[in-house]
Amino acid sequence: MSILEKILEDPERLKRLKRIGITSLVVFVILEILVVNVFHLGHPHFDFEKLPAFGSLYGLVSCVLIIVVSKLLGKLWLMRREDYYDD
Amino acid sequence: MIDWVHPGLVLIFGAVLVPFLKGGFKRAYLIILPSVALLCCILSSEGSFGNLSVLGYELVFGRVDRLSLIFSYVFSIMAVVGFVYALHVEDDGQHMAALVYAGSALGVTFAGDLLTLFLFWETLAFSSVFLVWLKRSDEATGAGFRYLMVHVAGGLCLLAGIGLHLANTGSLAFDSMIPFGEGPAFYCILIGFILNAAVPPLGAWLADAYPEATITGAVFMTAFTTKSAVYVLIRAFPGTEILVWLGAVMAIYGVVYAVLENDARRLLAYHIISQVGYMVCGVGLGTTLALNGASSHAFAHILYKALLFMGAGAVMYTTGKRKLTDLGGMYKSMPITMTLYMIGGFSISAVPLFSGFVSKSMVVTAAAEDHRQWIFLMLTLASSGTFLHTGLKLPYYMFFGKDAGIRTEEAPKNMLIAMALLAVLCIVIGVFPGVLYTLLPFEADYVPYTAHHVVSTLGLLGFTALGFFLLLRQLDPTPTISLDTDWFYRKGAKSFVRLVARPVTWIDDNVVGQAYEWIVRGPILGLAQLFRKTDTRAVDGTIHALGSGTLALSSLLRVLQTGQIHHYAIVLALGALALIVTGLLVL
Repeated sequence: MSILEKILEDPERLKRLKRIGITSLVVFVILEILVVNVFHLGHPHFDFEKLPAFGSLYGLVSCVLIIVVSKLLGKLWLMRREDYYDD
Repeated sequence: MIDWVHPGLVLIFGAVLVPFLKGGFKRAYLIILPSVALLCCILSSEGSFGNLSVLGYELVFGRVDRLSLIFSYVFSIMAVVGFVYALHVEDDGQHMAALVYAGSALGVTFAGDLLTLFLFWETLAFSSVFLVWLKRSDEATGAGFRYLMVHVAGGLCLLAGIGLHLANTGSLAFDSMIPFGEGPAFYCILIGFILNAAVPPLGAWLADAYPEATITGAVFMTAFTTKSAVYVLIRAFPGTEILVWLGAVMAIYGVVYAVLENDARRLLAYHIISQVGYMVCGVGLGTTLALNGASSHAFAHILYKALLFMGAGAVMYTTGKRKLTDLGGMYKSMPITMTLYMIGGFSISAVPLFSGFVSKSMVVTAAAEDHRQWIFLMLTLASSGTFLHTGLKLPYYMFFGKDAGIRTEEAPKNMLIAMALLAVLCIVIGVFPGVLYTLLPFEADYVPYTAHHVVSTLGLLGFTALGFFLLLRQLDPTPTISLDTDWFYRKGAKSFVRLVARPVTWIDDNVVGQAYEWIVRGPILGLAQLFRKTDTRAVDGTIHALGSGTLALSSLLRVLQTGQIHHYAIVLALGALALIVTGLLVL
């Protein structure tokens, strides 16, 4: 598994890995638009699914929403010191 | 000719032999016994077996149909793999508890009447609590008691429901409750069931107890309690509207807590709640596709969730650490564990070609076909959250991220083998979904690999990953815990005691104390006074009299003891004379 270590420890290769990641995101968006909006291969049940790249868009929105809302709930209300229940 | 052997009873009665075996024999036995149970499940043909008439009630220990079979397969597969993972453990108590626990899950699965169901339902709770207690730490003892308390309360609710149902219908048959209408019996049984499925607000026991269990015990616990609850819900409450919403809320609830969580196994425990949410939602939708989805998702979930717990457990085993803030960079020492964990992570995240993709989507599609757009959106949002935590956050902070400088060995071989077995199953189900679909309880056509489903899933997961890396700093684990509904019986109970303590002390001082003074203390003191007088006058007087009498007698005797030999000789002579006279008189 030293290959993985080499990639992750080498800034040059890590940068290349990031580029691959971003390229695949672009590919996912294009694929989704092609499948749903160009070739109409899907059977969307709802109108909002016909938005271009709905899956990708909703993924990003969900992720951000989950993190922001949960953190807010946590900071304002739920999170306590680790010894909260110890008396 | 024996038609059917109860696989659950094989495990429960088989557990008795564990302490009598040693070394290699014991290890072999621990693998063979669950394998025999698995074989019993595979060889079972549909029908009704083990019927017993007790006090005029018809008990059915073996209702074998497609629904009970699919759950029995995955429960017994899990028992076999779980024991491979636990093979290095030298603690008979844990092995016996795990065997009885797995056996009672199978007992619940095959129960055809409510009394048999209740019997195994309670055994489930009482056997699994030992997997927590046998960690032998103060936290585990406390968490175990809370776990037991909650499950006993749930069990009592279920028993009340069973009693009411029997009174209403005169029947103990365990079938759909829907035809009997929504009375108190309906809700009591429903509450008993959803408590075990960890539906909020009744589900805090799960995230409280599982992370405190032993490393190997937690693996068993992830499989049986919640999924046997999903099974009984499918059996008794298909199409119950409230479950649709409870399930969808539950799917998101687990995700929210996972953002805040620092304990690796507690994070995974919250994702059990989230995943069981899909199943509960599927039961609520009640269509054949949705019920198939709940069953197949339970099947796939047991395998990948156990794999994830095994991965986190392996790290805990080698490093002794369970908090993400203490871990990081573990891929360098534990690359095999990391790889196998990631297969579980991809499976739960429903990445194409992994098992979650072919099971979870059935429930989501069923919601869409039922034209429930909000449920669809909630479940899809929770999917993003699943990948965010189990596929990204946990592995990032445990295996990658900032190197905590911990260098260890890989986990023991038996642990790695168990994980590899589950990883293979996750991939096989993902690549050949037909294998799982042929086991499903209902007839329904479903094709997971459509172009639309694959690309929208890739987009969803890809952009979740983007969001993760953009907001990475926000997700840094913090050394905190999060309040859940267990607050009510952990902190709430204490506050309750403090709250009532003052009035109770006041009542104690001013009412009970005064009453005591007048009713008890006064008369007793009076009585004691009387005794004292009796003592000084009568008893002491008697002893005094005896004493002075003795004194008088001894001074008289002292007169006789003159010390002169001729006085003694006279006394002797008188004595001899008296003897002779007495002798003559007698003769």
